[in-house]
Amino acid sequence: MNESEARPKSGANRVLLWVPLPLVAAALLLVLALPGAPPQRYPDRIPVRFWHMWTAEWKAVVDRIVDRFNESQEVYEVIPLSIPATGSDAKFLLAVAGGDPPDAMSLWEQVIPKWAERGVLQPLEPLMNPEQWEQFQRTTYPAALRIGMYKGRLYGVTTGIDIAACFVRLDDLREAGLDPRNFPETMEELVAWGGKLNKFAPDGSLMRIGFLPTSLGGFALEQYAPVFGGGFYDWSRGEMTINTPENLRALSFLAEQRRSLGFDKVLRFESGLALGTSNVQWPFISDAYSITVDCQWRVEQLAKFAPGLEYATFPVPPPAGGRKHAGWANGNFIVIPTGAKQAKGAWEFIKFWAGIEAPERAAEFYTWGGWLPMNAAIANAPAFREYLRANPCFRTFLDVLPSENLQPTPPVTYQTFLTDRIRQAVEAAQRGILSPKASLDRLEEAIQREIAMKKRP
Amino acid sequence: MHKNWKGYAFISPWLFGFVVFTAVPFVASVMLSFTQYDILSSPAWVGLDNYQKLFREDPLFWKSLGLTIQYALLAVPLGIVAGVSLALLLNLNLRGMSVYRTLFFLPSIVPVVATSVVFVWVLNPQIGLVNGILARFGITGPAWLQDTRWAFWSLVFMSLWAVGGSMIIYLAGLKDIPGTLYEAALIDGANVWQRTRHITLPMITPVIFFNLVMGIIGSFQYFTQAYVMTQGGPDDSTQFYALYLFTRAWRYLDMGYASAMAWTLFVIVMALTALIFRTHRRWVHYGN
Repeated sequence: MNESEARPKSGANRVLLWVPLPLVAAALLLVLALPGAPPQRYPDRIPVRFWHMWTAEWKAVVDRIVDRFNESQEVYEVIPLSIPATGSDAKFLLAVAGGDPPDAMSLWEQVIPKWAERGVLQPLEPLMNPEQWEQFQRTTYPAALRIGMYKGRLYGVTTGIDIAACFVRLDDLREAGLDPRNFPETMEELVAWGGKLNKFAPDGSLMRIGFLPTSLGGFALEQYAPVFGGGFYDWSRGEMTINTPENLRALSFLAEQRRSLGFDKVLRFESGLALGTSNVQWPFISDAYSITVDCQWRVEQLAKFAPGLEYATFPVPPPAGGRKHAGWANGNFIVIPTGAKQAKGAWEFIKFWAGIEAPERAAEFYTWGGWLPMNAAIANAPAFREYLRANPCFRTFLDVLPSENLQPTPPVTYQTFLTDRIRQAVEAAQRGILSPKASLDRLEEAIQREIAMKKRP
Repeated sequence: MHKNWKGYAFISPWLFGFVVFTAVPFVASVMLSFTQYDILSSPAWVGLDNYQKLFREDPLFWKSLGLTIQYALLAVPLGIVAGVSLALLLNLNLRGMSVYRTLFFLPSIVPVVATSVVFVWVLNPQIGLVNGILARFGITGPAWLQDTRWAFWSLVFMSLWAVGGSMIIYLAGLKDIPGTLYEAALIDGANVWQRTRHITLPMITPVIFFNLVMGIIGSFQYFTQAYVMTQGGPDDSTQFYALYLFTRAWRYLDMGYASAMAWTLFVIVMALTALIFRTHRRWVHYGN
């Protein structure tokens, strides 16, 4: 190609070169015009930046609580920001590492031990006087306290606890000739009921499962191990307990329940269901399960998406030698990061939402979200009692809530690894890849290896 | 440099991005691979500890590496055979050929995440399209992604879905073969197979070579489909190397360990690429 060919030959070509410029300028303007951080409604107050992961109808609830707080204040204004749950922990950490963290953040990820260990979170008990701290420990439900504590210090205040109970369809019970007023009191009885409620198609495939321990978001063994008298942490001695006879019994139970129905049959049946976790697609609504174990938020969802459904709830019954009112507990909690510019303002907001100083006022917030309260004072407040009258099935969860047998994920710095490997252990045992014993052995080995790996030089 | 400053000015956004987001992290990751680093606290020097743990103590590292090598050994040749075969078919002079070419190329421009989400449903054991078709022939299809024996193979077969991308490169290669070679072969009495074997295939070996190298590099970086469709399960049967690396880095925040994994992967890919380059003179024909 010679020089004359390379050079633009006409004015039109020159004009073409300038076409992208207005486009670039327009794109730049668009970026600048995008809304930034929400403006302060009360410019004379101290802003408290609050991050959370709630979206959709939940975000509206959080915004309402924030509005209530701001209305009640003269000093602080909380500015909420909803950030996508995926990668939220990484965003938070980068903000802390970058020296510009929010003043508070609401989370439900398993992060407190790791972040506390690395000094990313502020201990919260110094923000209370000794009497308040003593009262807080005395009145907060054990599960709520365990979720927020690490090595004897409080790093997160639980504003909603998730625990599981049995949901049962009364129409199915009547159809199977079972008493819809008296529910099983032992696991053995529950399994027998399940057998009577199972429905099969003429070709032998499953049409309805009476009772089956579902994956519960991947926390099945964490839920059933305490029910069988085990668990993954000795809370009194502060030690991991993985390969114990009780945990083995629980894992064997999970494997056996699936095997007895036919692993492949169950797998195909479940894969045909829309396993939505937070909507109208919950298989219990479509009668795929007669009895299932799930968390308290389903009560709110059933009221919204299946108001005509006749159902009841009852605590997960223990097997012989097991523990009553036991299971896994998780929760939503609020933390204050190290380097927060308005830790005091953040603490004011936490107290307001959690109901540490005014439980009667906060009780209303818990009813907006269908959240379980952190102490009995909130549970006994008029607003919460009113909520229970409207949602009687919620009471089961409230009855279970004070139990010492509710166990959150062990407070260790490798919580995420632990839950991943426990999930894998369940999968291997249920699929018959390994025996429950071999599966627990492998889990124990993996955890020991991880602990060794995480030892800092 | 002085003469070309305008050119450098125009590519300066890219240069900036390359230095900040590629070159610096690239060099930093070498250092991090000799440290224990979790973002939350400053890196602690551990020497070769990460590498020792990788090679001696981490069974999942070996499992993920084995799976990835297995995937590369299966998916890359399968993709080459399918791509070349399709290109040969779509190189015929038939009516409406441009429509067929478009149809076969279309899947490769669908974003990987969208394809993966669709395939989760296509391979659903109960209501999926594949098992629906098999059921018409009285065959009960496997549980595909949910079966430890089939999950890996499902992903291998799925890799063929995007073969249109390489097919179009093979097709371009085929169009470049001089017609005179075929005319000469016809005069010599060569049949279709002989023409394909002795003219077409040798003439497109540079394109095959290119796709082989890119395919191997791509296979060792295989991530998105496994992340979206199986998250490494069931029972780690689709725990590919890049997925395990990502999990270590961003789920467990083991940045030092993940950096060691990344550099191990880099060395493996470089070694394999070098090996292919060393052998290519024996089987790649450039026509001169």
